[in-house]
Amino acid sequence: MEQKFEKGQRWNYLVEEYQTMLYRVAFSNLKNRADAEDAVQEAFLRYMKDEKPINNREHEKAWLIRTTIHICTDILKSSWHRKTVALEESVAVEAQKTYLPYQVKDDKTLEAVLKLPVHYRNPLYLFYYEDYSIQEIAGVLNEKEGTIKTRLRRGREEVKKILTERRP
Amino acid sequence: MGIQEIKGQEGIQEYQSRKQTGQSEGFQESLIQNLESRKKNDENSTKADSNIRKNDSETNARILGALSGVRVNAVAQREAVQTAEVRHMSYEESDNIEIAVTKGYTLKGKLEGQQVYVEAKYEDGRTEAYQVDTAKVQEGTQHRIEQFALETVGSVIG
Repeated sequence: MEQKFEKGQRWNYLVEEYQTMLYRVAFSNLKNRADAEDAVQEAFLRYMKDEKPINNREHEKAWLIRTTIHICTDILKSSWHRKTVALEESVAVEAQKTYLPYQVKDDKTLEAVLKLPVHYRNPLYLFYYEDYSIQEIAGVLNEKEGTIKTRLRRGREEVKKILTERRP
Repeated sequence: MGIQEIKGQEGIQEYQSRKQTGQSEGFQESLIQNLESRKKNDENSTKADSNIRKNDSETNARILGALSGVRVNAVAQREAVQTAEVRHMSYEESDNIEIAVTKGYTLKGKLEGQQVYVEAKYEDGRTEAYQVDTAKVQEGTQHRIEQFALETVGSVIG
């Protein structure tokens, strides 16, 4: 009984602490509310099933983000998802904004970031919009810090290109 | 002669035994005071120089180096912007945020009395913090950190 109660507490803590952030990460990848919710739930379920220890919150957070991104990648690859229609970019940006805990002043840039290929989008989104450090992103994505720095630089150039192309 | 003798212990003893009471004591005290005073001045001067150099190099070269084309009033900046310890303030804790993806940095600001704490995170991994005394910021400043501090005050006061 006692163990079950502890598990319940742990579950509540996990959901309260990370749910919204994980949803934002999932949505930035999938641009679809239902799929993003599924991805987050699946990440929580995998975490509970694996009985991961809760003693290091940073590792725990990194594990959850990494798993969510992996699940998103699997969903994007699935034949079912390819048949569904993602939200229009501007609508996706609006939806993304509503979940961020601050006001985004530049919609166009956020939209450009969400348009990037996944290997640029995740580092840029986590660095700029979720305020993660390069070290944390490297941990989450299982990459070297140098790789993350390079992707941030190249991703920024890609964002500039997208914004320039859009100008009339 | 006197100075050389004072430098060594033997010299001092010899000088003490030879000196006539009352004649050189005033000069000696004055000399020691002058030497101590000069040493203190030198230390303060070195400390002030290194602070100015630190502020100038860190604030100008790093922040403003990233923002090309920005003209800086170095004197005003030295007074208004001081480097501070990084607290790793979250977006939620901040009063004002600038996410400059195309320029490679983020800024977070929090109003604290008359000062604004500003934290800058750069694409190359550096995080730096500044305390900006908004009362000392010159009107129409072109310095981004100073501008951001004023925007932070505006966002809080409305």
